[in-house]
Amino acid sequence: MSLNDHCITCSDEGTEMTVLRIDATRMLALCAAPDGAHASVEIALIDDVAVGDLLLVHAGTALIRVEVLA
Amino acid sequence: MKFVDEFRDPELGATLAREILGVVDPTTHYKLMEVCGGHTHSIYKYGVDDLLPSNVELVHGPGCPVCVIPMGRVDDAIALSHEPGVIFTCFGDMMRVPGSDGTLQDAKARGADIRMVYSPLDALRIARSNPGREVVFFAIGFETTAPSTALTLMRAKAEGITNFSCFCNHVTIVPPLRALLESPDLRLDGFVGPGHVSTVVGARPLEFIPADYGKPVVVSGFEPVDILQSVLMILKQLREGRCEVENQYRRVVPYEGNPNALRVMSEVFALRPHFEWRGLGFISQSGLRLSDAYQELDAERRFSVPGVRVADPKACQCGEVLKGVIKPFECKVFGTACTPERPIGTCMVSSEGACAAYYNYGRFARDRELV
Repeated sequence: MSLNDHCITCSDEGTEMTVLRIDATRMLALCAAPDGAHASVEIALIDDVAVGDLLLVHAGTALIRVEVLA
Repeated sequence: MKFVDEFRDPELGATLAREILGVVDPTTHYKLMEVCGGHTHSIYKYGVDDLLPSNVELVHGPGCPVCVIPMGRVDDAIALSHEPGVIFTCFGDMMRVPGSDGTLQDAKARGADIRMVYSPLDALRIARSNPGREVVFFAIGFETTAPSTALTLMRAKAEGITNFSCFCNHVTIVPPLRALLESPDLRLDGFVGPGHVSTVVGARPLEFIPADYGKPVVVSGFEPVDILQSVLMILKQLREGRCEVENQYRRVVPYEGNPNALRVMSEVFALRPHFEWRGLGFISQSGLRLSDAYQELDAERRFSVPGVRVADPKACQCGEVLKGVIKPFECKVFGTACTPERPIGTCMVSSEGACAAYYNYGRFARDRELV
């Protein structure tokens, strides 16, 4: 899904973002969206997040690591 | 773009469309419900329904939280926004949802301090920056959004932020699906199951649909190839006499969900005995409130909330649209009195609402469906 044409409140809006930097103390990561936009993302729900991981992000929170199950 | 381009491949889409044609029984009319507003949006944006045989009908489900919020809760939100000293925060689309006396946008124009946020954490940041003000967050969404609200409330509690509270309207996906399946006026043959909700709760909670109601479910991604493949998987189940939950969206959805997300939700939320849904009425154990451990952050306890039930406008048929009983263009006010610019009903407000999807991408589909 693209960033711009979906409703953020929808249960199923999600954006795949790449981890650029991690602040493990605050459980936040700086992530990049496919269009290049950067955002601070809550990573408390994902174990062992690493730089370069692709995360599915919804409403500022990473819900799952993409590709793990592919 | 990884995980996007390959799922928008026209050749692959055409191959799947041919396979679907080979699987369907031409004498049978198939009625499949896509649960999520995200699916509805993609179907019309990419013209997925145009690739399906005429006897495979997609009907649109209740999986858009903006669309299912009843007018009374919008009135409650507006009342909270008018509380002295309150900064009221909400997601963008909620600003335009009509209550019985206007929208949150109208309330903002009348002087209420209402601010749009992109995540609950943004609302918490506003609370940190404004210690002398009360900041209320309008929490809405299915299980995809609820963990984000839960983590924010856990942070607020851990940091001792006392000027932050949550007006909780989170809902869960299974009870409305069961209500739909119990509805006598709806005959469905299968479900395109929710994708990102299942990231959190997993596919297992959907097993009641084949077990109790004998309908196949395929959890689906949101790209056009995802949806076509999911439709094919449902049709194959029907042809082979199988009936089970399958997971087309395995690159994102673990069958058991995300245990960390489920844990934080169970700590912060508790089930309400019942919750009102637009078009579906009151559904038992379908809404979430804050748990007793988090009651000091509950806006409904901190402030006086009217809590008055408000009937939908008579002209609005969002209820029938949300149940898949009518198509959006069959509503009396679709595209005339009710448009995305001036919506009467919630389904026209959210970009994922079925009416908005039809209006923006598929309003000419009406001619094809009437042929």
